[in-house]
Amino acid sequence: MMNSLWSRNIIRTLFVLFIQLVLLKRINLTFGDFNYVHLTIYPVIIALLPYKMNRPLVIVAAFFLGLFVDFFYDSLGVHAGACTFVAFLRYYFLAFISPRDGYKKDALTSFEYGVPWFLTYMSMLLFAHLLVLYSYEAFSFVYIKEIVLRTIFSFIASLFLVMVGVLIFNPKY
Amino acid sequence: MRNLLYLLFRYSALIVFLLFQFISLYLIVSFNKSQNEIWVNSSNIFSGKIQERAQKVEDFFTQQQLNDSLLRENAKLLETIINFRVFSEKNSFQTFESLDADSLRNYSLIPARVCSKTINLRNNFLTLCIGSEDGVDIGMGVISKDGVIGIVKRVSKKYSTVLMMTNGQSRISAMILGKGNHGNLIWTSNDTRSMTLVDVPKHAIIEVGDTIVTSGYSISFPPQIPIGKVSDFTIKGGSNNYDIAVDLDFDLSTIKTAYVIKFDKSEEKEILLNSDDE
Repeated sequence: MMNSLWSRNIIRTLFVLFIQLVLLKRINLTFGDFNYVHLTIYPVIIALLPYKMNRPLVIVAAFFLGLFVDFFYDSLGVHAGACTFVAFLRYYFLAFISPRDGYKKDALTSFEYGVPWFLTYMSMLLFAHLLVLYSYEAFSFVYIKEIVLRTIFSFIASLFLVMVGVLIFNPKY
Repeated sequence: MRNLLYLLFRYSALIVFLLFQFISLYLIVSFNKSQNEIWVNSSNIFSGKIQERAQKVEDFFTQQQLNDSLLRENAKLLETIINFRVFSEKNSFQTFESLDADSLRNYSLIPARVCSKTINLRNNFLTLCIGSEDGVDIGMGVISKDGVIGIVKRVSKKYSTVLMMTNGQSRISAMILGKGNHGNLIWTSNDTRSMTLVDVPKHAIIEVGDTIVTSGYSISFPPQIPIGKVSDFTIKGGSNNYDIAVDLDFDLSTIKTAYVIKFDKSEEKEILLNSDDE
């Protein structure tokens, strides 16, 4: 049981990273001046880490995940920072949308807690991730307009993609 | 100890978060050009502000030094003006080129800060923050950039007391500029901006607005240091002399700096004056 939970997570991580870094990174959704959509689905890895996982450990894992992504995006530290951020916030998001009888299952999937719950959870996580990500990327609030636009449009597109994936695979763990 | 461990455990997530967030930011700034530039610029703005503040503080503390140096500069300039005026009066036939510096230097000025002063009393004194160590001696005249202040009365090593013009005991030799009549300037009123010029014979022609300057007959002051302007004049019944009311050019209560006049040939002149008395 425990082994399968971990192995599932590792396999999912590799799979999502592959899609993110090999496919989505190459997709360039630019329409003239409109360059605000960047597909970012890998935060789902952080979202789906087991509930009982040690909080500091989640943060450390997220950091290295982000660092790994950074190597591909040539933006050392930007993704790592954003990942660390959402990994830290994950606990509070979960507490905020806790089901009536708490978290009985360790796997935080739509299979266990329902699609509406997962949609809320994923939205919060993804939005926070993208906001921090683009803030770090711009690194100055002079570009606040750009940051907000990127966050909003990327959020819509990425969330759509994540939900499609989750509904297709409907992971149990 | 147990509490500390508990605290560490309790906030381990936060600590780890902050640690890795810091590492991320460090990486961002060190390895990304645009972010690095923003960081460097922002920090420049930041450090620029701090440095500006520090400079202001430093300026505040070095202001005294700056003032002193300006004071010295002023003293030099005034000195030159006074000496040149004295010389050109005596040697109007000589051209400036033929002068050597030593023959010009009759008076030298010692700059000073005012330590304290009294203004409203009947006998007003002023204390300068320089004394005999700086070359001040009893009887020397004290002026400001605008005009006469008084005469040095007492000297200690580091301080000197000046008998101000507006002191009942003060008596300064003055003349009317351009007319040559001279008299003694005394303080009879209680108004710190007004004095009386006495001993001017009544045959002199005086107008309101005439400029009163030092006469240069005493060893204390060089000639033509401005004092004030004639505001009124009367002749008391039975007297041969005018009582001339003089408005001072500047407010004595506002002075912060002063120059002590040192007459380099004062000993010579004093001996001469004394021998005249005898």
